[in-house]
Amino acid sequence: MNCKKAGVLISASVDGELTLIEEQEFLLHLSECKECSVEFDEAKKTKMIIREKIIRFKAPQALIMSVMQLTSFSTKEHEDTLLYE
Amino acid sequence: MDKPDPTHHTKTREKKESLSREERQKQLEFQHEAVVHLNALYNYALHLTMNPSDAEDLVQETYLKAYRFFNSFERGTNCKAWLFKILKNNYINRFRKNSKEPGKVDYDLIKDFYHSIKDSRIDTTEADSDYFHSLLHEEVYQALHSLPEEFREVIQLCDIEGFTYEEIANMVESPIGTVRSRLYRGRKLLRQQLEGYAKKYGFNTDNI
Ligand SMILES: [Zn+2]
Repeated sequence: MNCKKAGVLISASVDGELTLIEEQEFLLHLSECKECSVEFDEAKKTKMIIREKIIRFKAPQALIMSVMQLTSFSTKEHEDTLLYE
Repeated sequence: MDKPDPTHHTKTREKKESLSREERQKQLEFQHEAVVHLNALYNYALHLTMNPSDAEDLVQETYLKAYRFFNSFERGTNCKAWLFKILKNNYINRFRKNSKEPGKVDYDLIKDFYHSIKDSRIDTTEADSDYFHSLLHEEVYQALHSLPEEFREVIQLCDIEGFTYEEIANMVESPIGTVRSRLYRGRKLLRQQLEGYAKKYGFNTDNI
């Protein structure tokens, strides 16, 4: 495998999405090529930075309540019918 | 006249109770499988709509639909991926039809958006001193949103939500190979953007 081919595989390798054969050849190339190893580390870092720097928000309490209500409404209604029948 | 059947009443009761038990079973499973992804769905909706109240509506709609069609959810597959797909379809039907041109990003809107919800944000530790860690949340967000939507979308689903290529392919209705190449090209663009910000801070990225 040459650097050009390895370069294309870096993105998918970071995600663990290479085929078995691709991965073997890719790792072999990394062990022999400093430049691609550095690129690989950078790609991992970029993925990490997206995960870390994009802020995750918690759903507002009101939304949680309303979703819980959505899914418990029909049973409640059913229980009421049973009770008052 | 017929004599009333003494067993009739109990029979109806039994039927009703077992129906109710079934419904309760479905609810328990739904809460266990689907409601646990509420935060992730809200985040995704927020990034799509950039508006907290639209995001709430979208999430509610998604759960309503998901609950109604919960029987068609293939047990054992990723429920989060299933919910994301429903949410995205809802979003396309409801919002994107009458939105502004695609690809244009309103940076002021992003800034306002980030400032308005700053209080609820979860800060990460910034121990490292390399150029990536000097980047602000807002800058990474802007860099991501400066990408064409087809690239931004797969990066978001892969890096932030942790879906597999197969799950993403199903969500964006494209072959796995397309997802793979969009990620490759999108990340290249994203890296250029991020390095642009890093240069602004005087970090030399030439040797990286
Ligand atoms: Zn190489």
